[in-house]
Amino acid sequence: MPFNSYPYLAFLVVVVVGFCLCERRWPAARRGFLVLMSYAFYAWWRADFLVLLIGSTLINYALGAAITERVMRGRALHGLVPLGLAFNLGLIGLFKYAGLFVRTGDDLFGLHYPIPHLFLPLAISFFTFEQISYLIDAGRGRAPRYSFIDYALFVSYFPHLIAGPIVRHNDLIPQFRNSRTPAQTSEDTALGLTLFTIGLAKKTLIADNLAPYADTIFAAAQQGTHLGAGDAWLGTLFFGFQIYFDFSAYTDMALGSSCLLGMRLPLNFNSPYKAASVIEFWRRWHISLSLFLRDYLYFSLGGNRHGTVRRYINLMLTMLLGGLWHGASWTFMLWGGLHGLYLVLNHLFRDMARTLHLAPPPAWRACARASAVLLTFAAVTLAWVVFRAADLGTAGRVLAGLIGLGRSQLVSVSPLAIAALAALFTIVWLAPNSMQITWRFRPALAPEQYSPVADTNWLVWRPDARNAIVYGVLCIVAVLALSSLSPFIYFQF
Amino acid sequence: MARASYSTWFLGTVACVLAAFALFNFWADDFVLRHHAGASLQTVSGFERVLKPAWFASISPAVVIVGSSRVRNGFDPVLLDPAFDIRSFNYGVSSISAYETRRFVQDAAARPSVKVILVALDAFSSEGAVARTGQGFDEMRLAVTADGAPTRNRRFWLSATRYLSGGALGMHALGLWLLAHLSPSQNAADRPDLFEAYGRMTPAIFAADMRHRRSRVMQLSAHDHAQLRAMLAAICRRPVRLILFFPPDNAAMIARYEANDSNGLHAFKTMVVADAIRHNFTCASKLAVFDFLRPSAITTAPFVAGASDNYSDLVHFRPAVGVRLLRVMLDRAHAGSDAALGHDLASGD
Repeated sequence: MPFNSYPYLAFLVVVVVGFCLCERRWPAARRGFLVLMSYAFYAWWRADFLVLLIGSTLINYALGAAITERVMRGRALHGLVPLGLAFNLGLIGLFKYAGLFVRTGDDLFGLHYPIPHLFLPLAISFFTFEQISYLIDAGRGRAPRYSFIDYALFVSYFPHLIAGPIVRHNDLIPQFRNSRTPAQTSEDTALGLTLFTIGLAKKTLIADNLAPYADTIFAAAQQGTHLGAGDAWLGTLFFGFQIYFDFSAYTDMALGSSCLLGMRLPLNFNSPYKAASVIEFWRRWHISLSLFLRDYLYFSLGGNRHGTVRRYINLMLTMLLGGLWHGASWTFMLWGGLHGLYLVLNHLFRDMARTLHLAPPPAWRACARASAVLLTFAAVTLAWVVFRAADLGTAGRVLAGLIGLGRSQLVSVSPLAIAALAALFTIVWLAPNSMQITWRFRPALAPEQYSPVADTNWLVWRPDARNAIVYGVLCIVAVLALSSLSPFIYFQF
Repeated sequence: MARASYSTWFLGTVACVLAAFALFNFWADDFVLRHHAGASLQTVSGFERVLKPAWFASISPAVVIVGSSRVRNGFDPVLLDPAFDIRSFNYGVSSISAYETRRFVQDAAARPSVKVILVALDAFSSEGAVARTGQGFDEMRLAVTADGAPTRNRRFWLSATRYLSGGALGMHALGLWLLAHLSPSQNAADRPDLFEAYGRMTPAIFAADMRHRRSRVMQLSAHDHAQLRAMLAAICRRPVRLILFFPPDNAAMIARYEANDSNGLHAFKTMVVADAIRHNFTCASKLAVFDFLRPSAITTAPFVAGASDNYSDLVHFRPAVGVRLLRVMLDRAHAGSDAALGHDLASGD
């Protein structure tokens, strides 16, 4: 059930009304109600895979309870954490990566094993990672023992189930027992409606209108067309903006849905194209994933504790695996590798600047920052080509087109296209984001060390009649554009 | 103000605007379907991908013509229906993809009222721009899925499209605006200034279009060929007659196809005829192929009084030409002088 669909709108109304009823009359039943509704939400896609979700939840809960018990009593864990990791990684490996590895083995060594064609269960990358973080925290003595209903709701809570944010148990579970006053409920509803509307508008009015152009150009490249410079640049930029607004929209809708139920999800998206370095980009793009990779992979590999070289190796490994997390394709791994390389270069440059005391004079700081933002945008956008391309050949044809090696003219660089690009750059670089304009009302949980949401005085949202009418009209315009069921890009991961 | 009041204002605004849009669409849809020139809106460019499946469901036609803007501009049911005593539907959309063509044909073939489906073959010449679907296309509005199974909840989607989609709102608003400019005795043909399909190509348009379409080719890619075959397979056992035709682009354009990729053009024609013969040999449904993409009385007609009677630009033929083409394709025995325009290449005559 995609967020940008009529069934989800109806589902959300039913859940919010039901949840508010439970909250007032049967508070003890509201978690059970949410678990059931979340399972219904998942089953709408494919009911049979609900068994996988529930089974994975049961096994991880049992493992987590055993680990917590032993940690509390100071007893040895007897490999329970590695067992849990093996189970979860085995699950995701079986469903998501078995085909890739067998195919690659076949290509490289001619093994001729039968290639498994397993259906990829929706959201498996997300609910697996969330449960891994719980097991590791339990092993580190940082997870209390939860009731099963709390744990099941943490895993299946529908606003984050399909495409994140990747939620930590200690962020979400304590909120399940919060009781709200009528005033808080009203404020949550106002905030939730507004965030959801902003997300829906980003999806249907912007991202979905960019998709056909990007799709046309990348599909042509996949068919072997040698793209002309105009096609390649438009396709690359349009996809860069499409994925930006698509993921931003999804995140706003997830956060908005959760606000309607009085719960806050972690901040996940914060104007990443305003980043002045790739390091900063990853503190603004898919924040919950980058925090997960940092805390559970990069730190586990040793982080920066074993010298500079090991630090860079760990960074590369983390980003390579982060890339592979997005999908069973070597293009995703290459995309991760590119970002790993960017991060290494970024750290090298930063260390060098620190050593040599390089800093622009105060008068040039704004200019230097603007150049850094532009360079970061260019680097990230180039990497999106590899991310979007179906294979390396397609990526190569698009990249060759960017430097003018092809001659196609699938779309024209018209004044309308130029105007659209100018508007998109203006939005992503100059306009405040949805978090900034609603930040006074705390729409999301801010990561402890990041707290990056800057204040703004422009377009600040207030729960007054004028804003209600403006966002109400925006909501209708966005709903009227719901003509096509175009899924969110991150739903495939 | 109290937060509760925000939600009330928000939901009240949503409800009021939504109700206003739905009421407008409801009234406009009924008005268009009843208007004597309402069917001419099928020749208009706008949000046709959104609304045409809904109009199709309301009209229940016997003859359906599927294709790109060539079809959309060239076949006006207001002219066709009285000329052939049929109920026709123009399923032409801008820059139709091969996949969309296949899906529209599947949609048409699934309706009991449909007896004949005509498909313009330029839809299978995407020149590498192989986007699966165009803006506004939605599988959920079609009668069957790509696998041929009935689409679940289709009635709901059609209603949502017709009354609650922005595309319907835009198309209805445009349609009402156009129809409002016609007097009771006028048809779309009387207002070529409003209905672009009825416009006439001038030497200036000709020259501009020759520049614009200088690199055009007409060829069947492997991807589009696969879609063509999937389309034929989908109707193999359906009780409909399928007619494929190469549309009559202007002779200057045909010369350009020849100059840019002569082999591609001829291979396209050869492959289609071979597929058609194979289809007729193995399938219950019968298939005809007409080639109007060649020098003929239509494609080589000179300008008359500084404008073309047959074209609005190099590839868009006018609705009067559509009538002549349909006469040939539906009943060649009574086609008179137009019989020379083409004959069924798949019949073996």
